[in-house]
Amino acid sequence: MTLAQETNVNVVLRKQGEIVLEERPVPTIEPDQVLLNIKVTGICGSDVHYWLHGGIGDFKLKEPMVLGHESAGIVVAVGDKVNHLKVGDRVAVEPGVACRKCEECKTGRYNLCLEMRFAATPPIDGTLCNYYAHAADFCYKIPDNISLEEAACIEPLSVAIHAANRSKIRSGDRVFIFGAGPVGLLCAAMAKASGAGHVSMADISPQRLEFAKSYYTDSQIVLQRPDAGESNIEYSRRTSKAILETEEKADVVIDATGAETCVQMSLMLTKNGGCVVLVGMGSAVQNIPVQEISAREVDIRGIFRYCNTYPRAVKMISTGSIDVKPLITHSYPLKNAVDAFEHVKSGRDGAVKVVILG
Amino acid sequence: MSTTSAIPAVIPGLSSYLNKAPKLSNSVPQPLVSKQSATSEKADVTVPVGRASRDYKIPDEDTKNYSVMLNKKEDLQMVEIPVPKPAKGEVQLQVKATGICGSDVHTWKHGAIGIFEVTDPIILGHESMGIVTELGEGVTDLKVGDRVAIEAGIPCSECDQCLTGHYNLCPDVLFKSTPPHHGVLANYITHPTKWLYKLPDTVSDEEGALLEPLSVAIAACERAGVRFGKSLLICGSGPIGLIVLAVAKAIGVGPIIITDMQDSRLEYARKMGADFVYKVDPTKKDVEVAKEIRSMLGSAPDYSLECTGVESSFRSAIMATRDGGCCCMVGVGKNDQLLPVNSFAMREVDIKGLFRYHHTYPTAISLIAGGRVDIKHLVTHRFDFKDSLQAFEVASDYRTGAIKVQIFN
Repeated sequence: MTLAQETNVNVVLRKQGEIVLEERPVPTIEPDQVLLNIKVTGICGSDVHYWLHGGIGDFKLKEPMVLGHESAGIVVAVGDKVNHLKVGDRVAVEPGVACRKCEECKTGRYNLCLEMRFAATPPIDGTLCNYYAHAADFCYKIPDNISLEEAACIEPLSVAIHAANRSKIRSGDRVFIFGAGPVGLLCAAMAKASGAGHVSMADISPQRLEFAKSYYTDSQIVLQRPDAGESNIEYSRRTSKAILETEEKADVVIDATGAETCVQMSLMLTKNGGCVVLVGMGSAVQNIPVQEISAREVDIRGIFRYCNTYPRAVKMISTGSIDVKPLITHSYPLKNAVDAFEHVKSGRDGAVKVVILG
Repeated sequence: MSTTSAIPAVIPGLSSYLNKAPKLSNSVPQPLVSKQSATSEKADVTVPVGRASRDYKIPDEDTKNYSVMLNKKEDLQMVEIPVPKPAKGEVQLQVKATGICGSDVHTWKHGAIGIFEVTDPIILGHESMGIVTELGEGVTDLKVGDRVAIEAGIPCSECDQCLTGHYNLCPDVLFKSTPPHHGVLANYITHPTKWLYKLPDTVSDEEGALLEPLSVAIAACERAGVRFGKSLLICGSGPIGLIVLAVAKAIGVGPIIITDMQDSRLEYARKMGADFVYKVDPTKKDVEVAKEIRSMLGSAPDYSLECTGVESSFRSAIMATRDGGCCCMVGVGKNDQLLPVNSFAMREVDIKGLFRYHHTYPTAISLIAGGRVDIKHLVTHRFDFKDSLQAFEVASDYRTGAIKVQIFN
């Protein structure tokens, strides 16, 4: 096998705060794997979080780890047991390989697999490199009318698809979303694709909401910061009351921030019998207005990554049900990966999704 | 009925129970039976256990109608009220059996329940069955002498929630005994026929009055989606927890682990067929309790039904539930609670609450009549109507070992 380039540059988080480029061997593949030339990788907030904080929740960085998990690439080698892909195929990469044998996997909820190997979650190396070996059944061929940049966005889009599935958005529903970052915006896109009648979006950043105006949202609400000395629950009661002066209660509220106030407001803004979906990750323990759950039967549920989303995502992008291109605002070559991370951290120049090109 | 020398005052404006409670007169109702004599008399029950009574009295102009009325916080009295006349679509009933609910006791002791405050005297009670004594205009689906169970919540039947099958969430629901609406603990009441259910003889009076808490249990199992062959954690072995246990077993759910702080209640649960009973130590950390529950059950429960309303119990239930499972809060607790959000969000444990029930009475009647669920043994204490105040005292004192206290007329 001859490769276009023999070097395999990896973007490695050596320890908290330190990203370096490293040459590593080109990996060998198992019979059920393919070797991919990674062409595009989007940067996720979680990559940035690992860089800045050295861990997320219980997942802690103990040794150097390659970053990145939102990737698309080209097949350059296939294992003996692989039948559905061939050299030259363009694919979207689903970064989490499940065991396929446990009860969760067998009942279709492989995102909850306890043996899950998820790229860029310690200790599993991520996809920000030139050559990556991956289970062939977690690589999805994309048609010619989907670019590799769009294919890389299928990963964050999957989070939104899973959120939409879990929330059971139905046609005509009112959906309210907290958070106008890439995930919140993709949730808006999914809400509309699911047939939602009205999508409202709230954020503390007027600039982000400016972008949201032209991306699948019908109304935008700028949130103020809490007053000095005001508790979160007081802020949430006051603010949701104010929001309800111009907005109706929603069938589904998605929180894509993880902030305690937004979680509280999500419950207060949902109709009786409606549903709140927590997409953002926040503090382990939060003060929750349980009376909204008990007296009004508002369900609250979270999501953990996604499952069974890639084939649907490919179809939706291919047929134009969803357009992810507007979200890709900036790109950097692989050798300037550190600059790309700095850009995402600063959020400057209206950055939504920053991608790294291999 | 024992009498005192005082002539009880008749409270005007009580003839219609349908409207939001009309303002009552400001005069304090004179007690029919003094509180002292009520508690010292021995309870004397005239309805034998397990009977489907057929005797009733159609009221005449001399018939007095007494009610158990909460005048204000901690001031419960037997008060005479007018015999109500049924409006169009209603019937008049002689209430034969009524269970006392924890919410009745709470309203009595605190003068409020949730956001609803007792601002005017209110009749308590909502777990009842009775016998039809008079038909209102246009009533053809019931006849005098019919035994019926009473569904105490009357929704508007026109709003979005009602029309999509969630009438329990109707914003205008009139739930009898939630302030300001009068409950059903009186000798005679009126009620729309639409919210009454005929009882076969295979459902006794006690069971007729148990259909309401049984409805809560059925609704809880529906909300959480418990299914045969799946495991269940029930928090709390009070009447609701125990009836949930009975329903879960009837639908093939298992193994079932149930918790409580009292040994006697856990023993009761064991006798009812709980596979495991776990005694809660309130000094233990919630995460410790969750671990021990999982360890005793041998695995993480697929579902949990929280029937205490206590914050720490809710937290333990959330943490114990398996990934991808469901934890449903049946009990009513504090408004704002500190919950382990990552534990449920990142493990995809769905959190649901329950507000009363809808479309459960026919199911409840079927489960009892068909012998699938036997819960009449939960009625541990029985009182004649005249001893109602004593019944409330017993219901509110856990040292009596009371599970369900019922009042018979």
